[in-house]
Amino acid sequence: MAAKFPDADWFLALGRLMEAEGESFRRLGYAEVRFVVRVVGADGRAERETAVELDGYKLERAAALHDAPGFDPDFTICATGAVWDRMLDEIVRDGRPEARHTLSSLALVGEELWLESQDQLREDKYYRYNQTLQELLNLSGKLAR
Amino acid sequence: MPTVQIKDEARIGSEARIKLQPSVYLEKLFQTGTPDLGWMSQHGEWGMRAKPGNLGLRLKDIEIGSYGVIPDRGGEHRSMAPRGSVVPSDVPSLGFTINEKAECWADNAMELYEEAVARQWSSARDIPWSELKPLPDDLEHAMCQLCTFLTEVEFIAADAPTRWMSQINQDFLEIKLFLATQAMDEARHTDVFRKRALANGGGLGKASALSQLSLKRIFDSPSFSAQTARLHLLGEGFVLTMFRQGEFIAPSRVDSEIFRRCMQDESRHVGYGTMHLRAQLKARPDLAAEIHEQLDDAESILLQLFSVPESVEPMAILLGGGLKHFDQGMEMQANLWRRIVNEYLQRCDSAGLERRPRCLLPTDFTKLFAA
Repeated sequence: MAAKFPDADWFLALGRLMEAEGESFRRLGYAEVRFVVRVVGADGRAERETAVELDGYKLERAAALHDAPGFDPDFTICATGAVWDRMLDEIVRDGRPEARHTLSSLALVGEELWLESQDQLREDKYYRYNQTLQELLNLSGKLAR
Repeated sequence: MPTVQIKDEARIGSEARIKLQPSVYLEKLFQTGTPDLGWMSQHGEWGMRAKPGNLGLRLKDIEIGSYGVIPDRGGEHRSMAPRGSVVPSDVPSLGFTINEKAECWADNAMELYEEAVARQWSSARDIPWSELKPLPDDLEHAMCQLCTFLTEVEFIAADAPTRWMSQINQDFLEIKLFLATQAMDEARHTDVFRKRALANGGGLGKASALSQLSLKRIFDSPSFSAQTARLHLLGEGFVLTMFRQGEFIAPSRVDSEIFRRCMQDESRHVGYGTMHLRAQLKARPDLAAEIHEQLDDAESILLQLFSVPESVEPMAILLGGGLKHFDQGMEMQANLWRRIVNEYLQRCDSAGLERRPRCLLPTDFTKLFAA
């Protein structure tokens, strides 16, 4: 059975696609960043949290946050399941989300998706590596659903 | 090896005003054929074997042994002799004036330099220009005015810091390398926004005296750190948020690609500035007063800049999706303004500058309109 977002295996599958893509991620340049993807429930609490680490041109690690003690993320990306699903559906349909539903656009408005971080400098990595993060998620269009 | 043919070889030097004599060393070499090799015993720490990591051999990988020691004060010789080399006593000084590490250093500069080199892009190659489609006049006007503003202001972040770059002691080479990438980034931003303005049936719009005033104040900053506060912390932080807005407001994929790529570059610049101020204020807490004064003035100009139609209206039109949704655009701009101020103040926090009580920027956008 295919892994589902936000399972760690789902991200690991993206990581394999990222390595297979190779050159396109090299063109974007390397990324060194640790982050958590959080699916927020209707009550505002975290339903699921996955820790992800990119090291260079590959996805080095993905694990449920509770299985990653000591994981120190640069930032946490928070959104409800519906917002994540909408982004992933648009990626399946068009290869990328609509302009106002990208990681960058959603975080800018900050209502449907927002960042949490202890340090603005570390949060800024979200913007420094934004194209890589978005292209990584865009690979989900190639995953079996 | 065949002899290289040089045009009019016999004429070369026939009218030279200075006649040079061969050095004693060259005469001896010519006569004996025995190399001197004395230079082989004059070297810095020997036996280094810097090991590449998974991303190749980066600057952090060669910060080893004595070569990895960044002095608190740059070499007194003030020359471009490489840090860690044997420096002859007669090297001429280049007159560097920034000789204290704290005056320019940031711990993330090496990381940002390598990242900048790895993440360079080409406005000609990487932007899908062929996908550009005609836009309604209001949107094209707004986008072109925004591009005019960005073309106007972006290169200050190359021109201004590179004035100081030439004053930085060569022992802080890593900082110069990073600033060189910043200059290259700004060249690309200047070119890409100019290209965008001219690529879709519009053209350049109205330049701004207030923009020019803000650039002049950055240019005339009394110290590198003062300039960093104005330029990196406030100016580039503000533009960073504009670039993030840019992807959101982009009426085409071409525009979103431009803004997203610029956003990544600008984040590095803000990252350097914040870390530099953190290091500088830690070393010299007394400098906070000067930084505050610079930011008082810079914030005041920013507010004036945001009080003229050519700054306010293009963003509102683009945010609203057209002139007919201008009010919605203004409402969105108000929300984004809060974000700009919030992120700016958080960066001040990161830099170790308690700016909140003194900040002139209202968190409520509507206060910009109140008398």
